[in-house]
Amino acid sequence: MPFREDQLAQRVVKPKTNLGPGFWPITALIVVVSAVMVYLVETSPLPIGLVQAGGPADSVDALFRFLGATGAVIFNVVTIYTIYFAIVFRAPKGAPPNSIGVQIHDAPVLEFWWTAIPTILVVILSIYSVKIWADLQNTAGDVLTVEAIGYQFGFQFRYPKLTTPTSELHLPVGTPTTIHVTSRSTDVIHGFWIPEFRQKADMVPGLVNTIRITPTRIGTYRIICSEFCGVAHGGMKGTLIVQSQQDFDKWFAQQGGQHAGGGGGIPLSAGTVSAGQALFGQKCSVCHSVGPFSQKIVGPGLGQIFNDPAHPKLVDGAAPTPQDAAKIIHDGYSGDIGTMPSAQVNGLSNPDIANLVAYLASLSKK
Amino acid sequence: MATLAPGVKTGPYHAVLDHIHPEPTSFIRKYIFSIDHKIIGIQYMITAGLFFIIAGLLAEIIRTQLLSPTGAVVSAATFNQIYSMHGTTMVWFVVIPLLTGAFGNFVMPLQIGARDVAFPWLNLVSYWIFPVAGVLLFSSFLIGAPDAGWTEYPPISLQGPPGTSMWCIAVFLVGISSTLTGINFTVTILKMRAPGMTFTRMPLFVWAQFATSPMLLIATTALNGALAALFLERQFGIPFYNPAHGGSPVLWQHMFWFYSHPAVYIMILPAFGFISEILSTFSRKPVFGYKMIAFSTVAIALLSFAVWAHHMFTSGMVPWLQLPFMIITMFIAIPTGIKIFSWMATLWGGSIRWTTAMLFATGFLITFTFGGLTGFFLAAVPADYHEHGSYFVVAHLHYVLFGGSMMGLFAAIYYWFPKMCGRMMSEKLGLWHFWLVFIGFNGTFIPLHWLGLLGMPRRVAIYDPQYQFWNVVASSFSYIMTFAILLMFINILVSLRSGKKSGPNPWGARTLEWMISSPPPYYNFKKIPAVLATPYDFGNPLPYIGLDAAPGATEATPTHTSHPVPTY
Ligand code: HEC
Ligand SMILES: [Cu+2]
Ligand SMILES: [Cu+2]
Repeated sequence: MPFREDQLAQRVVKPKTNLGPGFWPITALIVVVSAVMVYLVETSPLPIGLVQAGGPADSVDALFRFLGATGAVIFNVVTIYTIYFAIVFRAPKGAPPNSIGVQIHDAPVLEFWWTAIPTILVVILSIYSVKIWADLQNTAGDVLTVEAIGYQFGFQFRYPKLTTPTSELHLPVGTPTTIHVTSRSTDVIHGFWIPEFRQKADMVPGLVNTIRITPTRIGTYRIICSEFCGVAHGGMKGTLIVQSQQDFDKWFAQQGGQHAGGGGGIPLSAGTVSAGQALFGQKCSVCHSVGPFSQKIVGPGLGQIFNDPAHPKLVDGAAPTPQDAAKIIHDGYSGDIGTMPSAQVNGLSNPDIANLVAYLASLSKK
Repeated sequence: MATLAPGVKTGPYHAVLDHIHPEPTSFIRKYIFSIDHKIIGIQYMITAGLFFIIAGLLAEIIRTQLLSPTGAVVSAATFNQIYSMHGTTMVWFVVIPLLTGAFGNFVMPLQIGARDVAFPWLNLVSYWIFPVAGVLLFSSFLIGAPDAGWTEYPPISLQGPPGTSMWCIAVFLVGISSTLTGINFTVTILKMRAPGMTFTRMPLFVWAQFATSPMLLIATTALNGALAALFLERQFGIPFYNPAHGGSPVLWQHMFWFYSHPAVYIMILPAFGFISEILSTFSRKPVFGYKMIAFSTVAIALLSFAVWAHHMFTSGMVPWLQLPFMIITMFIAIPTGIKIFSWMATLWGGSIRWTTAMLFATGFLITFTFGGLTGFFLAAVPADYHEHGSYFVVAHLHYVLFGGSMMGLFAAIYYWFPKMCGRMMSEKLGLWHFWLVFIGFNGTFIPLHWLGLLGMPRRVAIYDPQYQFWNVVASSFSYIMTFAILLMFINILVSLRSGKKSGPNPWGARTLEWMISSPPPYYNFKKIPAVLATPYDFGNPLPYIGLDAAPGATEATPTHTSHPVPTY
């Protein structure tokens, strides 16, 4: 007997029972387990179990924590409810073969929320990721620029003031560094991965990709090829050595370079005295007078820094040249007198440093 | 012709469909060069099943090699060929053909109440390209198989062994095969649904195929273009990709991923369809949120065309361009989440029968969710800088492809086997299969996440000794998984011969394929039934009229004699 369509109008059967035996205790369990997991993830110093050798590893790890925490909550909700439903709503033994479940088709309010909440989460996550992404793009304060070149099967590095490429990447600690990565023009694609910095870029022939890091932890780290590049791909590794400025300078000199890292790379010729004077008043005069070296506030007086016969050398032992002063202003220096903050701390760009040095030089001429 | 209830629209097709071709009698026309969608579906299944065995064995060589940091069994050169062939085979010769070629072909026309697909001869061509391509692909081992991964990025793939060009041809051919299938299914679903089966009454597996087929059509075009160019550059030196000759290696990546990201959804949407069908049948409840599931399927299909560059965050593109790709990728989580929650709600309040198919469908919920969540980690650009090219990616993609597509396929095999063969599979062996796969799979791929995060790159034949422990763990569990899959094959073979007779509808399911005998007769429906509602209302009478078994249905007799019956 054919039945009419109107007899098939969808009947929404309201569940007569509550949500299911033990629904709320299970929900409480989900909340507790999730809270514990979120706590553990959010408080773990190294969420992926790998040391942080410098920026931006810390920001990326913060993102990992956020992703891990959100993921754990969602996974708990899905898994625990699924297993719970699976157990509670199984057909009892001996149920008649035509027994059926609650004939419910929709629950608009519920569906609204399980669309809205993930949407909000996705928006938050997008914003957070964009923010961290923007931090990584920030170029201000870059001091050292190195070029990393991949080839089958190794890495080499070019420093601005070295004529021959090096086989290891050495970086002075605390120096914001830009690494331009590429591959030899007739070679294949390689990857430049420094896991302890959470950074990677493909080395593509004919293309230059950029990574920015600031090493903060002295040590030796891995450089790993992360794009398949041929038969010895698995063995394609390089070494990144983060060392103190002094050690770096020593190594650099051995490679045939003159004083390079840190302030060595800052062009000073464009500095103007007036801009330097203004900056000095804002950022330096709390700690430095413009009198002779002996006229100390926190740090020494800087009025005769380049021509003080009583102090023929700078506090770090270098000759009193504008380049070396710039290096101290850039890198900061901790010595017998106290701690001179770095340009990063003082919020100085390279042109700022040039202006300050110009101003200091003008003082010394008087 | 049975009278339709008031309000049921009949298309012009209804009359046209009502004629029946006589069944071919020769073995060759019946089983080899068949134009019957059911036979073609089964042909796809057998062929892809064979490829699955090969690709699975390749996987075990990979895992065995990685037992030792210095490589336990094969040379690095061989290893590279093996993992490249594993990936290629699994994606193009196993998962896509099983989801669309096998289950799409067998189930979809039955579910829409059609007698075949729109273009049966085209279907035959689609199928026969596929084994030919497979033979080409595997014979590349003889001349040096491709070794740069299933992604074959140039310039390294330009230097690859001669078999890399064979690979181009083979993948190009399966591309054509899937394009033809895409056309065929799109037209079939648009034009050949039974009268009364409006879009909002289609079974959700049909919705899944409906979203997938145009994707096959559009995306594969990009891949085939890219493959042709790679082939031309390799064989004739026409510079498309080699930067040394003015080409662009990143161009390949864009073309490749413009196909391969949608392909990710080609490989999951039909599985989503399986899950909707199976969860509903065994919970004995309507699929919760039918319209939202259907809508989100289409939303995912559309969005999937706007996210490809999330595979290329480290490749080198204008930095700001990373952001839209990241954000759209993350937004795919919303329709996906809607599905997951709707499926959970389908379980809720059910009268659940724990068959093997149901176990796999539920296991899918858990493993696929996990894979989806690690997808977030990869979508977030700053985190991807760390994860790209590492074992984390390998772990993620196996969670969505094995934990998603394969779990769905296992569920589908247990679910539709009785329909295909008229016999039940052993539930006891099925249980073993499920639990061993579930344990083996998670044990294999969970450790790979942290191996990747700790710095182990993918596609390496040797690795640093500190990674050995977890590699050994992963490999050990992978043997359990392989053993479990072996059990499935045994189960299939044994059940084929001595499984219990299933009858037309062993599961008490309600979609149209269960309304006819198992295996279905040559022309599926003697009378094309009319459809009055979605199939899933277990509380209501069946929403079909004019079924063969229904009172008043008159048998149609072969009336169409314009094609002579072939005699070869
Ligand atoms: C928090 C206090 C502080 C501030 C602010 C500060 N300095 Fe210093 N500075 C020091 C100290 C302390 C030293 C000596 C470090 C040592 O030798 O132990 C020093 C040393 C120096 C020296 C080396 C002097 C020499 O004779 O070798 C220079 C040059 C210098 N500072 C420039 C600057 C400039 C330019 C600014 C403003 C941007 C600045 N400092 C801001 C504390 C400070
Ligand atoms: Cu490599
Ligand atoms: Cu993708």
